[in-house]
Amino acid sequence: MVQTETPAPTERGRRSYGRYTAGRLAQYAAVLFIALTLNFALPRALPGGPLKLFGSPEALAQLTAEERAQIANQYGFGQPLHEQFFTYLGNVFSLDLGMSLSQRRPVMEVLGEALPWTLLLVGTSIVITALLGVTLGVIGALRRRKGKGSGLLGGAIVFDSLPQFWLGMLLIVLFSVQLRMLPTFGAVGPDGVVTIGAVAQHLVLPVTTLTLTGFGYLFLYTRSSLLTVLTSEPVQHAHARGVPYRQIVRRHALRPALLPVHTIIMMEIGFLAAGSIVVETVFAYPGLGRLTFNAISARDYPLMQGAFLVLTVMVVVMNAVADATYPLLDPRARAGGAR
Amino acid sequence: MTALRRAHGLLGTPGLIGAAILTAVVGVAVYGFLLPEGAGHARVGTPYAPPGPGLPLGADDLGRDLFEQLVVGAGTSLSLGFLVAVATTVIAAVVGGAAGIGPRWMSATIMRGIDIMLILPELILFILAAAFLGQAFGIRVAILALILWPVPARVLRAAVLTAWSRGHLEVARAMGAPRWWLLVRHGSYLIGPLLIPVFVRTAMRAILYDATLSFLGLGDPTTPSWGTTLYWVQSNGVFLSEAWLWWALPPGAAITLTVLGLALIGIAVEERLNPALKEANSS
Repeated sequence: MVQTETPAPTERGRRSYGRYTAGRLAQYAAVLFIALTLNFALPRALPGGPLKLFGSPEALAQLTAEERAQIANQYGFGQPLHEQFFTYLGNVFSLDLGMSLSQRRPVMEVLGEALPWTLLLVGTSIVITALLGVTLGVIGALRRRKGKGSGLLGGAIVFDSLPQFWLGMLLIVLFSVQLRMLPTFGAVGPDGVVTIGAVAQHLVLPVTTLTLTGFGYLFLYTRSSLLTVLTSEPVQHAHARGVPYRQIVRRHALRPALLPVHTIIMMEIGFLAAGSIVVETVFAYPGLGRLTFNAISARDYPLMQGAFLVLTVMVVVMNAVADATYPLLDPRARAGGAR
Repeated sequence: MTALRRAHGLLGTPGLIGAAILTAVVGVAVYGFLLPEGAGHARVGTPYAPPGPGLPLGADDLGRDLFEQLVVGAGTSLSLGFLVAVATTVIAAVVGGAAGIGPRWMSATIMRGIDIMLILPELILFILAAAFLGQAFGIRVAILALILWPVPARVLRAAVLTAWSRGHLEVARAMGAPRWWLLVRHGSYLIGPLLIPVFVRTAMRAILYDATLSFLGLGDPTTPSWGTTLYWVQSNGVFLSEAWLWWALPPGAAITLTVLGLALIGIAVEERLNPALKEANSS
């Protein structure tokens, strides 16, 4: 926790809210710093130094003088390590991530084209996963004694065990190859025309893959959270007062049960963003994940690092957005009590 | 028969199913270790051969026996899951224990560190680290153990804090016993059993992540594994032909079954340790 300056005497709640936010901001700053440091350190941790990245001596010899200069400039060979680090940070903050070796274009340009697709894919998946996981979790908790509840529990455990890439392949086999209902690859129609219908159609299978592999954890957590609240004393007291069951669930159980679920949704964001690497590869979706895969295959390290950085920043920003809404839901966080 | 009944009483039906699945996979893995060197990556048949005598699951694009890849892959996956789980559980126990009973500054530092680690997506870190540091078996195990410890460490810290407030520990503490000795001598019987679900869940995640990494082409090219087989499925577009039945289906099903078996055992052990959970689940 970062201690803020002694705040001006304002409303008590507002001050604590500010401190809560400052603490979280410091945390996100630390995450970004670690991501940047990893990005800086990993190529240099290679036995043989960063030039090893560019493959065999023959491949190295094929690089043009311009490319050599660019690489030397980017990695700052020969300078002391801390100066290299500052050069690196300066490049990142001026949005200069170097040149992609496989595409021979600035990394930033390549990433800029891919980012909207990933945002669309991951954003849609987060919303659907959250709605599905929470709704089913509530049903699973309320119907725990019945067939529906245990069926849901079993289903969630099985889907949680499926590898994303394999589920994606099975969906392609079933819906694209056998039933010919949905497109197999890409994000837009065959002629490259962007229409809402084509984009939506191409989104169905990737989003389904991410949602089905992602909702299980959220389901299990929501279910156990609601079950705990349902056996708690305030709820038992409401029972004793003769409050109807529906009303108990709606007014006394759901809100306290769903608050901790908020934290799990934030963890889902990271899971789904990482999942985009796998799913975009399977469905040849033109986003950051597919780009990461291509960069790995082509050993295009500048592009790989750039994609990693942008994916991490995306996760951090999405987390911050979800986090900023939490004190609106939970009065205890507004009062600075929830840590 | 009595042994089976006793096992059923211990684990319940789901746990027993999980144990059966896992036993079967271990059996396959042992068979895989007995196969001669080079099984699964030596060229034995014609490329793209369909299943036939001698080749129960056919051959891949280089004429390698897909059944042998499946069998050898079981050993690869299980040993990786086991080693990562051992390493992660040890790290998590030490870090979680330190955060539970250490001085306040240590506890606060560790917990903030864990919060930060939890925001970074595990899989992305794993991919990046493997891409740069190499794909050898030992390196993958080390990277996974270093990435996967925060969640279990948090679980174990909570367990240490709960144990710490028990009466007999408070008495012993009042008598002036050193903290680490207290934890090991009087607290371990409370915390020790919790290491089992932590171990099982870590093994699960390690196996899934490793398969994903191999699927992305960052696997160890010298050892057959389920993920690597599926990498070739993807790069050859196998699921567009009927070969997906014997090429793509078995390795994916093997991953799913192994992870499912571990998940069922984990749930059974958790319910056994925490009867309140079982009551909430069944009543």
